[in-house]
Amino acid sequence: MARLFKNPDKLSAYRDRRFSGTQDEFDHALRTSVTVYVGNLSFYTTEEQIYEVFSRTGEIKKIIMGLDKNTKTPCGFCFVKYYTRDDADDSVKYISGTILDDRPIRVDFDWGFQEGRQWGRGRSGGQVRDEYRTDYDPGRGGYGKLVQKELESRRQLVDYETPVGGLGSLPSYQQQSNSTGGGGGGGGFRNRGNYKRQREEERAPADGVKRIDRGPRPEKNPRFREKGDSDDEDGGKN
Amino acid sequence: MSTSWHSLLVRIGERCAAYGGHADAEDHIETCFNSLLRDLHHHGNEILALLMQCVEELPHKDPLYGTLVGLINLENTEFVEKVVTQAHDTLQAALDSGNCNQIRILMRFLTTLMSSNVIAPGSLIEVFETLVSSAATTIDEDGGNPSWQPRADFYVFCILASLPWGGLELAERAPEDLERVLAGVEAYLTLRKRNAGSALSVFNIQDEGVEQATEQEDFLEDLWSRIQTLMENSWRVESVPRPHLAFESRLVTGPSHEFGQVTCPDAPKLPTNPTDVIMGKKREEAELLYPRRVGRLRIFPAAKTDETMAPIDRFVVEEYLLDVLFFLSGCRKECAAYMVGLPVPFRYEYLMAETVFSQLLLLPAPPFKLIYYTVVMVDLCKALPGAFPAVVAGAVRSLFEKVGDMDVECRTRLVQWLSHHLSNFQFVWPWEEWAHVLEQPKWSPQRVFAQEVLEKEVRLAYWERIKESLHSSPNLVELLPPKLTAPIYKYDDPQAVSAEEHRIATELIMMTRGKRRARDIQVYIEEKILPDYGQKMAIEVAVQTFLYIGSKSFTHTVGILEKYGTVLSKLAANNHSWQTVIIESVAQFWKNSAQMTSIVIDRMMGYRIVSNLAIVAWVFSADNVNRFHTSHHVWEVLENAINKTNNRTADLRKDVASVEKSVDAATAALAKAVAKVEAAVALLETATDDETRAGAKSKLEWATSAQKKAKDEESSSQESLEVKEALLLRALHEQEALFMAVYQNFATVLTQRLSVPLPSVEVVKTDTEAEHVEDPMAVDQETTVGAEDGDNVEIDGERRNQKYSVKTNGVSTAEELEVQEQLTWRKCTLGYLRAITRHYATEVWLVMDRIDSEIFTDTVDQLVIQTAYSGLRRSW
Repeated sequence: MARLFKNPDKLSAYRDRRFSGTQDEFDHALRTSVTVYVGNLSFYTTEEQIYEVFSRTGEIKKIIMGLDKNTKTPCGFCFVKYYTRDDADDSVKYISGTILDDRPIRVDFDWGFQEGRQWGRGRSGGQVRDEYRTDYDPGRGGYGKLVQKELESRRQLVDYETPVGGLGSLPSYQQQSNSTGGGGGGGGFRNRGNYKRQREEERAPADGVKRIDRGPRPEKNPRFREKGDSDDEDGGKN
Repeated sequence: MSTSWHSLLVRIGERCAAYGGHADAEDHIETCFNSLLRDLHHHGNEILALLMQCVEELPHKDPLYGTLVGLINLENTEFVEKVVTQAHDTLQAALDSGNCNQIRILMRFLTTLMSSNVIAPGSLIEVFETLVSSAATTIDEDGGNPSWQPRADFYVFCILASLPWGGLELAERAPEDLERVLAGVEAYLTLRKRNAGSALSVFNIQDEGVEQATEQEDFLEDLWSRIQTLMENSWRVESVPRPHLAFESRLVTGPSHEFGQVTCPDAPKLPTNPTDVIMGKKREEAELLYPRRVGRLRIFPAAKTDETMAPIDRFVVEEYLLDVLFFLSGCRKECAAYMVGLPVPFRYEYLMAETVFSQLLLLPAPPFKLIYYTVVMVDLCKALPGAFPAVVAGAVRSLFEKVGDMDVECRTRLVQWLSHHLSNFQFVWPWEEWAHVLEQPKWSPQRVFAQEVLEKEVRLAYWERIKESLHSSPNLVELLPPKLTAPIYKYDDPQAVSAEEHRIATELIMMTRGKRRARDIQVYIEEKILPDYGQKMAIEVAVQTFLYIGSKSFTHTVGILEKYGTVLSKLAANNHSWQTVIIESVAQFWKNSAQMTSIVIDRMMGYRIVSNLAIVAWVFSADNVNRFHTSHHVWEVLENAINKTNNRTADLRKDVASVEKSVDAATAALAKAVAKVEAAVALLETATDDETRAGAKSKLEWATSAQKKAKDEESSSQESLEVKEALLLRALHEQEALFMAVYQNFATVLTQRLSVPLPSVEVVKTDTEAEHVEDPMAVDQETTVGAEDGDNVEIDGERRNQKYSVKTNGVSTAEELEVQEQLTWRKCTLGYLRAITRHYATEVWLVMDRIDSEIFTDTVDQLVIQTAYSGLRRSW
């Protein structure tokens, strides 16, 4: 169906550099795979939400969350493995571009999950795209990692005080999750309520950097790379 | 240059860059024609292929393509000959293989070719007559096979459906022939059985306890009446472009081509012992091959839809929309663009919404997965942001009003769709309009509907997000699922369990966290728990422990079940009652999360920890039976179990088929090897000198070893075939047992409740029915008017509370409410019986003989049997 507007040769714009085979082998893998790659997820999106959306094209075999290699927390992508190729096909066809947690998600064929691919490949542990982003994306940890570092160093230079208000509402959750989250590797008690509530506070991000910046700062691309200009506002404010 | 003709062909008739932004179709045809003429010599075959592809996949432009071919016919008859031949061959192949869409579209194309003077009217008439006569033969009692009426209907439908594209020309050029064809169609219509299809209509109202469809429209009769009106209007159709008229003087000079005969394959022979069940099965097969294309759903008042256009225009626009939906599925941009940009001179947003909703709710099944229609609806809202969202909202309001009479499967689909749709639009919905459901009892269909939508929304997002979306009527928070979806681990609660139980549970937790082997845990249970506390406690503590450890996420749960599932399956091996205890423990543990409950049960069935029969037993356990009408949750679990069972047999069937192929290949290879050995033996025997003898010997040796290898391969593939066949046999047994259990349970619980007389049934029923009889398709005028303006208009308050006014004005007693609840339960449970029967008709037919003889006996309430039969569309 619909051969007219589709380029059957082009299965994915993305070529995984870690794939060891040839381009042909890569294409073959994509053509036969029952796994899809899901991108542009919020860090807060849970497996159960993904299950709910992706099971609408077929029975799901596995979900593998992409994790930040340092913090071991979700970093905005995952793999979904189906039982049949048709179901994977449909998820690429239909789910790609739809909204999950208020963001358009991207779904592409994947050549198949292998151990190790769940980790972010960025320098700081997350996905590479989150290294260099210059926009403020509350669903993905605020500014890109480089921008955050930049901000951090500036802040230390200026040596201002940390406003207290931002964290004021958080401690109770943190205490709770500390007490229930014990048990270490995988044994934790899921307390989705708290987790979600933290998400509700997503506009007050967890690490100090973003918290201070976000209020008055324009949301889009403050152009940090060119040193000195867009930070004036920040400096002036503080 | 080659790309130029490509985009000119594809984009013809569209306002686009290829045509410099002009929209005049006649200009496009001229431009495209000139470009094609230049390239036909070099790219004839590519052009032919693309042209035929366009004809098929962009059929709303067939009049343009037909005219284009007509023009080419003046310059290059050889090429046009190829077009005609290819159209013929493709049509014949489509008839042979039963490719419905191809047949229908090619007949339309042929009609436009006739209008453009490429083929003679006689050729087209000949095709029509072939189809009519095949249809008549098929439904003939002697010599035909009436169970194949779906195909006969389809053939006749194709004839009528192509007339809007050339009825006028046929009436001018071959009036007698056309009359003869129409007389044939009319004769057919009187002979065939009418398709009332009550089990396939979205809305049903109860009449004397029997579900009645509110729409009795037969698709073929409907089209026939539209065609007759068209005829009375001298075949004028606003919605079909007639570009050939502008070129008429040129087109008549072209030579016309012979289309050649087509033949319709014979319908399968009538079975020798045509019992009711066998004929039903055959009809079911025919219906799957030739499915109903549209189930027209009227959501808006006629003033918004039918009255804005001629009857035939409604049909044509529906055809356009369904074609785009079918051929451009997966091309989201183009699909939405073509849907909103049809070549018709009137507005059709309302009709478009009705058509998409009709597909979304089409019974027994829409051609695509539900999510496709969700995506289409989202894309249309984005393509027409000023008009379409309000129309969709109006449709939802109207459907919500009648949700109590809606088929349960349609209701479930609507919930799925609406929740997903809203999640794509920031969950914005005027919930205050539905706040009145809080005054209704917990089982009222509207209240259940609102609750299910909210529950699905929470699954797609999170509790706080959905709570926020209810800001206009915060009281509705009452309908949300529990805020904490955290599991209930009962051994943490000193009040609920004894100190001893707590100690054991803690020990198990420690062992599991310590990643002890499954074997160790099993030994611990066998030695420390089973002797002192018994099986039930052992099962419960094991289930709770594992789920608790795996409760962090779906993946954790899967991981823990993979590792320790065997412990559970050994504890409840081959014992449905113990397996039901497992399921109940799961349900208790995940009481706050319907999603996790159904996921865990589903996975447990996957690991064969619990059987499908245990799931059925749990679904029909007393507590759940009482909840049949207040939530979809247990039904979701049942449907998952049925789907999984059916998937297993379907997969194994595929496996068997592919192994059979390899067996055939291996057998052929073996035969070849044997022949080679024989040849070598013969060579050896006839060898006269040493040299040839030596050569023959080595040949024989080689051939013998090859034969041995082939033999091995053959027997190993034979073996794996036997294994697969055994597995399939087992799966089929499991499937049969599952359906027997499902029907047994339905029969038991329904008969039990239906046999209890309801005191004031009559009174209550007439009250609620009156409303529907008067105005079965009632739509609040105000609602839709409001929708048009994009406002959220208050729905008429009086009407809204009519059904349950009993509660507020104190006229009704608690007893009457109870009666109403019973009625709702009956309607809902019977509704599920019908929906499940209809959905799994293919599988149900397989066991129908057994169900008839073993379950549907005299002791079963007639209404149960009747409902199941209606789901199969089996005569009663």
